[in-house]
Amino acid sequence: MAIFKSMFKKTSYINLDSGSESEEKDGTGTKQPKEPSVPEGLWVKCPKCGKMIYRDDIRENFYACPKCGGYFRIKTRTRIRLVLDKGSFEEWGTDIPDKNPLDFPQYEEKLENTREKTGLREAITIGKGSICGQETVFGVCDARFLMGSMGYAVGERITQAVERATKERLPVILFCCSGGARMQEGIVSLMQMAKTSAALKRHSEAGFLYVPVLTDPTTGGVTASFAMLGDIILAEPGALIGFAGPRVISQTIGEKLPEGFQRAEFLVEKGIIDGIVERKNLRNTLSALLAMHKTEVSGMEFDRMYDFEDTARSVQAEQKDREVTKRSAWERVKLSRSQSRCTARDYIEAVFDDFLELHGDRAFRDDGAIVGGVATLDGMPVTVIGQQKGRSTKENISCNFGMVSPEGYRKALRLMKQAEKFHRPIVCFVDTPGAACGIGAEERGQGEAIARNLYEMSDLKVPVLSIVIGEGGSGGALGLAVANEVWMMENATYSILSPEGFASILWKDGKRAKEASGIMKITAEDLKELGVIEWIVPEKEPAESKNLKEIAENMKLHMKDFFYRQAGKTGEELALERYGRFRVM
Amino acid sequence: MFQKILIANRGEIAVRIIRACRELGIRTVAVYSEADREALHAQLADEAICIGPAPAADSYLDMERIISACIAVKADAIHPGFGFLSENSKFARMCRKCHITFIGPSPEIIDRMGNKSEARNTMSKAGVPVVPGTKEPVKDVQTARHFAREIGYPVMIKASSGGGGKGMRIAESDLDFAENFQMAQMESMRGFGDDTMYIEKYVKDPKHIEFQIIADKFGNVVQLGERDCSIQRNHQKVIEESPCAILNEKLRKEMGETAVRAAKAAHYENAGTIEFLLDKDRNYYFIEMNTRIQVEHPVTEMVSGVDLIKEQIYVAAGMPLSVTQEDIRLNGHAIECRINAENPEKNFMPCPGTIGQVHLPGGFGVRVDTAVYSGYEIPPYYDSMIAKVIVHDRTRAGAIHKMRSTLGELILEGITTNVDFQYEILNNRDFCAGDFDTSFIEKNMGSR
Repeated sequence: MAIFKSMFKKTSYINLDSGSESEEKDGTGTKQPKEPSVPEGLWVKCPKCGKMIYRDDIRENFYACPKCGGYFRIKTRTRIRLVLDKGSFEEWGTDIPDKNPLDFPQYEEKLENTREKTGLREAITIGKGSICGQETVFGVCDARFLMGSMGYAVGERITQAVERATKERLPVILFCCSGGARMQEGIVSLMQMAKTSAALKRHSEAGFLYVPVLTDPTTGGVTASFAMLGDIILAEPGALIGFAGPRVISQTIGEKLPEGFQRAEFLVEKGIIDGIVERKNLRNTLSALLAMHKTEVSGMEFDRMYDFEDTARSVQAEQKDREVTKRSAWERVKLSRSQSRCTARDYIEAVFDDFLELHGDRAFRDDGAIVGGVATLDGMPVTVIGQQKGRSTKENISCNFGMVSPEGYRKALRLMKQAEKFHRPIVCFVDTPGAACGIGAEERGQGEAIARNLYEMSDLKVPVLSIVIGEGGSGGALGLAVANEVWMMENATYSILSPEGFASILWKDGKRAKEASGIMKITAEDLKELGVIEWIVPEKEPAESKNLKEIAENMKLHMKDFFYRQAGKTGEELALERYGRFRVM
Repeated sequence: MFQKILIANRGEIAVRIIRACRELGIRTVAVYSEADREALHAQLADEAICIGPAPAADSYLDMERIISACIAVKADAIHPGFGFLSENSKFARMCRKCHITFIGPSPEIIDRMGNKSEARNTMSKAGVPVVPGTKEPVKDVQTARHFAREIGYPVMIKASSGGGGKGMRIAESDLDFAENFQMAQMESMRGFGDDTMYIEKYVKDPKHIEFQIIADKFGNVVQLGERDCSIQRNHQKVIEESPCAILNEKLRKEMGETAVRAAKAAHYENAGTIEFLLDKDRNYYFIEMNTRIQVEHPVTEMVSGVDLIKEQIYVAAGMPLSVTQEDIRLNGHAIECRINAENPEKNFMPCPGTIGQVHLPGGFGVRVDTAVYSGYEIPPYYDSMIAKVIVHDRTRAGAIHKMRSTLGELILEGITTNVDFQYEILNNRDFCAGDFDTSFIEKNMGSR
């Protein structure tokens, strides 16, 4: 208020003539309106940001603060309403009795009181429901019931439901929210961890899908059992997820914990969970996952359920090897490394639909050099995995220039084993200058990780197709290329090591790379001749974003042809063919 | 009558509302963001409350904070001005729940007129002409083309969920219809996941004519003549005037009566604007209703002599309008030029900054609505409009001359404005002849 220093005369200085309408109006004294005030319950204070928010907005915003985006814990009933088809939920296990193994004083009363307050029977409500018409076993933990803790009744409900899911060939989705084991039931609570885990193992062995969704908070014995055993583990943004609680850790080690520690985002970064899904998208994401994991797979035979025959015919009819543009090997080396060249993610987006990225090796870290997940190819579920290069410095820092770390190979292998469990074919996009080179990579066993992939990939019981789209750098590339067929793009390279390295080892002069590239036989044409690859993906012009669509369409046609050719083969046959492919080299 | 009104806005409109309140003896409360501590509205009001940081979302758009402020100072009504929360039905509803009068129409009316297809249906039922088009959404090309032929080319293909030009295409004939339809549908599918489309007659280069109405709760509706707002750049109005140079008395009367009918059909209360498109053959079509006071309201005030803000306050307080239709005599011609802190040479990039010396023009028939003063720092967070210069004269030619002279007196040192751009329009032969439509700037000012 510096400029005019309150020099303006206030309204009260302005003299109004007598008989102003306002006074007349007030004089009548009819129906005095209520004083302005906020009615009780119109607003609530957000516990995360402390701002006042309009109650109706919270509901519309899927029970998240419209101002800070923080999530509120929601009731079981709300969760069921948000995720399941209306009226589809049927509760199971309501007859399971309470137990008080320690004869804990006043435990029964506490349970009764909680039941009265929450209207829930136990900390978990479980049963059967459907999402967009797809049946699933569905459970929800509720923090209002003794912090969602797991005692006998919770463990028994989960176990019975999982057993029934196995019998009825149903997937399982559990929304986890718990402080851990229930103290009042002592060691019996601890045993529920083993019991639920064992039931899930059997469900998994039978080939069915289990998706836990971790919500705030998921800790203790629940984290150390059913919460972490999913084929795909999802979480809500910002959820606290951990074994030991942050307060306990902080007191034990006597240190302040870093910002974001044990939050869902932290767990994705550390490779522990597959991904974070916003509450508003959960129903759709779960629906898509269920659709991709239809349990009607008969035996180990790769199905003919997708009608690719027409495409296959048209591909087979066309002349398979078109003239490739004449370019020197060195030109192709440069093109394969070009900044503007399409990356794995570009092809995944252009060729497939409904791509859902899955993260992490479940052990150490999510490697940005590997992008992977599930997608569909004209309706057929596929696991896609690619080595990802960046276009900018920032992107390249996050994906390490496409140089894969041991945890990246382990992430890829995890996704391949997952594909095998669900009889889903695998498509790999190879584009790496080589495996990551560094102290950390060696400490975590880079050699072991690559070797393990070669070993396990050789025996996968599903069709595997690898496409070298850019640089196929040595063992780092082979770690994703033990496939039934390997294709190469016209301007891709695939080699024992870089031309620079080759020249430096043989001739002690890295500058003779161009010359080396000429004799190394690293281009698609050379390798086709050597029988190392099956098909050259033509590039009329070098692959860039402007011709991505055209190239991807052609690639897709040929992929469908490839899958058509694998139809009817058993898993054993597929593995044997792969064995034979490399056996002759 | 209200004892105290909180003005949930900033800039010149907040100052305009404070002035009306002062004249009525109503105390005023300004709200301001951290960037507006020195703003004129905050200084002129009897009380001022800071409601948050500079970004509008955290201050002028934060409903809870504004209502809390209103309750804290015990104001009994909120005037929302234009922009910000002025057409937000949720805010209007929240005010009602908190026993605060929202100076504007009811939330139900805001919702009804805010929904384009509902507004269109309401108007159509009341016999107000609307742009011919499909009533039901269409999905396939054949049906759509059938409608297009029926309506007559050129047609506009619009996505049901569209906005911001996305999913919008113009087809000139059968030949390019299918292609445009599919493109628009694809865009809509990608952008909004919705493939339902509407076909509408494309009104090529229309005039934008709007009628000011004001209504009280007793069912009285008064129209205050039209404004020609065809001088627009990117759908932003640049110059507005009243009356429109090419409307004859008969058509003016007919359109005015239609506007009243439209307002009655909507059971409208408070100030509002009925917008029409007027094509080359003098056909007019209702496009939408604005349920708030508008930036260009002064031109109507100048020709009608009615203080629209005061009338808004009267009717919000439950009083009848102070004028009837018979009282309204529209006099002379008024023109408004919007002065923006922007650089026409650099694609009208906003250029906030600190204003040095200021000279505001004055004289007979000259009005300047602004919130700037010497030493004022224009914050970069909000709209770039910093002043409205309005002139009134007996004839249109007289008004144009007066505006040219007036703009020549306007001095805003230290910042770049669009004043020269305004000059160029005022000196354009077609503009002076009244021969212009919404494509005027695009066609005549394209050289820059």
